[in-house]
Amino acid sequence: MAGEYTEYNYVAAETIDFSELEPLDPETRQIMKGEFSTGLRLTVLYYIFILSIPILNWFAGGFMFSRMWGGMTYSWFLTSIVAMAMAFIIAYVHTSLYEKRLRNNQNSSGNPAAYSKERRIM
Amino acid sequence: MTAMLLEPKFLLTLLLMGTIVYITYLSKRSATASDYFVGGRSFGWFTNGSAIGGDYLSAATFLGIAGLTYQLGYDGAYYAFCFSIGLTLLAIFVAGPLRRFGAFTVADFLAYRFHSKRARLAAVAVVLAISGFYAAPQLLGAAQILSMFFGTSYEFGIIFTCSVMIFYVGVGGMKGTTLNQALELWIRLGAFLLMVGAAIYGGLHYQEILASINEFKGVIAGSSEFTPDGKDIPFDGAVWTGTGNYFPSFWQTISMTIGLSLGTIGLPHILLRFYTNPSARAARKSALMAIGIASVFFFFAVYLGVVGRSIFLSGNADPGVMKDLIAGGNNMVVPSTAQALGGEWLLGLVIAGAFAAVFSNLSGLFIASSGALAHDLYATFFRKNITEKERVIAGKVSIVILGILYGVLGLMVKEASIGHLVALAFTVAASTFTPIFILGIWWRGMTEKGAIAGLVMGLIASMYMIFFKSTLPEFLQFNVPGLITVPIGFLSVYIVSKLDRRVPADVNEFMKKVHSKESEAA
Repeated sequence: MAGEYTEYNYVAAETIDFSELEPLDPETRQIMKGEFSTGLRLTVLYYIFILSIPILNWFAGGFMFSRMWGGMTYSWFLTSIVAMAMAFIIAYVHTSLYEKRLRNNQNSSGNPAAYSKERRIM
Repeated sequence: MTAMLLEPKFLLTLLLMGTIVYITYLSKRSATASDYFVGGRSFGWFTNGSAIGGDYLSAATFLGIAGLTYQLGYDGAYYAFCFSIGLTLLAIFVAGPLRRFGAFTVADFLAYRFHSKRARLAAVAVVLAISGFYAAPQLLGAAQILSMFFGTSYEFGIIFTCSVMIFYVGVGGMKGTTLNQALELWIRLGAFLLMVGAAIYGGLHYQEILASINEFKGVIAGSSEFTPDGKDIPFDGAVWTGTGNYFPSFWQTISMTIGLSLGTIGLPHILLRFYTNPSARAARKSALMAIGIASVFFFFAVYLGVVGRSIFLSGNADPGVMKDLIAGGNNMVVPSTAQALGGEWLLGLVIAGAFAAVFSNLSGLFIASSGALAHDLYATFFRKNITEKERVIAGKVSIVILGILYGVLGLMVKEASIGHLVALAFTVAASTFTPIFILGIWWRGMTEKGAIAGLVMGLIASMYMIFFKSTLPEFLQFNVPGLITVPIGFLSVYIVSKLDRRVPADVNEFMKKVHSKESEAA
């Protein structure tokens, strides 16, 4: 079962040169590629937003610190309101895409992996 | 005495303490190491999401962010923005794989990935460094609240908080800690919601108070009564609502953004929480819930910092509130604002909430450090054939040792700012564990020597740039040195691994384990 802890005894483990390493099996490679590319795309998108705030603050301060709603400037609005929503939106999109991949995995595999049967207390 | 005990701040704090004792008593039976260190991996996403939120939203959020916004204006709000990023990145890259790996501690990850005791030892040192850095400001917050609102000495506050922690974590283990953290989160959220409601009800609308603060230029009426030099405090609202108050340059701002946004991925007490889920899917949902809660919290914290500043500038605040805002420093903005908005009952709830924040976060740090001492150090290096029962006892003994150790640290940071100290803890985490976990989970080419080099170089670089800032050239003197230390951590791992090239022979099995398919029904 994934995630089950077993005591590890420190037998000197073998190491091999990276060039001699066998390629990953196709299934694991596909899962990793799908997960990583989704994560990376969302992270790049997120960081474009994140870094645009300080860049605009320092290089387009006149606009960013001008008022848009009462005393609220564009900068204040983006930093303290939009950014908080953005953190959740990125995570939500990532989780939704992950769930979608799970469903696809389920459909493409007639034998779903057994999941944790550990007791839930809540 | 009876009258004093009937005051809201006493009543509500005692109620919180009583609830903690009750929950701890209910969950005191930790028969196995799995029960003690990871709560038997039995918590659903709602409980765990609440607990992650409770763990993450420490006194630095509950008191520090509002305080920093009150003090620094826009730059304080920018702090909150940087803190809000990290959990999202953690959910994307680490949460699921870490749960599938599923051990007891952060150091287990390195030990299994490389079959290495040396890597485990390096990880233990970094866990203790980060946890110590993080625990000190939490204790500072608790001691300041006790001294300001209950009249105790700072030293008593530290000893009292550490004693509560030793009981709470030592007796309840991860089960008690998780349930207490979940409950404490909702106490804090309730307190913030009431404060925000009271502020809006009182006509303190966000855009209007920002406008009035922005237009303020002059001295603050009524402040001279409480300042040491007897002079009114000058204030320029235009400067406060602009940037450059704390981060004097563009690169200083970027450096903090990097340090804080990547720091969460390397926080041991947050990483540990993902082991307690029953499945990787539940781990992701827990993270999503925690992110939602954190986003709301950070939004409220910034708004309440603005409300605090607005009350301070208004000139008609209660003298007691004015005194607290001046004497208490920025860490006391939330309690003082609560008193101004809702009187003694709201203040009482906020004080209980502040204790909840401190206890919640400290308990996470205690349990993470306890795992490092008892499971990673003692059971691995000193008692090879340790039984389950002995492992749990070792965990409890380590809690007492940590209580003393963190208490000493707490006594050393009496004058510091909570928010800034936590920011520095984030920098150390971002420069050490973040590269290890991201590269260890996603890159097969990482070697044992690369991992150790990354941990050591990241730790040395971040510690040096924090403690010996003045010895560096001016262009390297960052308030939060993430821009330099994070790349040092990543590059150390990458370059040394590339030079070493000796990867574990079973790295493909490890990757298969942490990236395995899972059932939707999990």
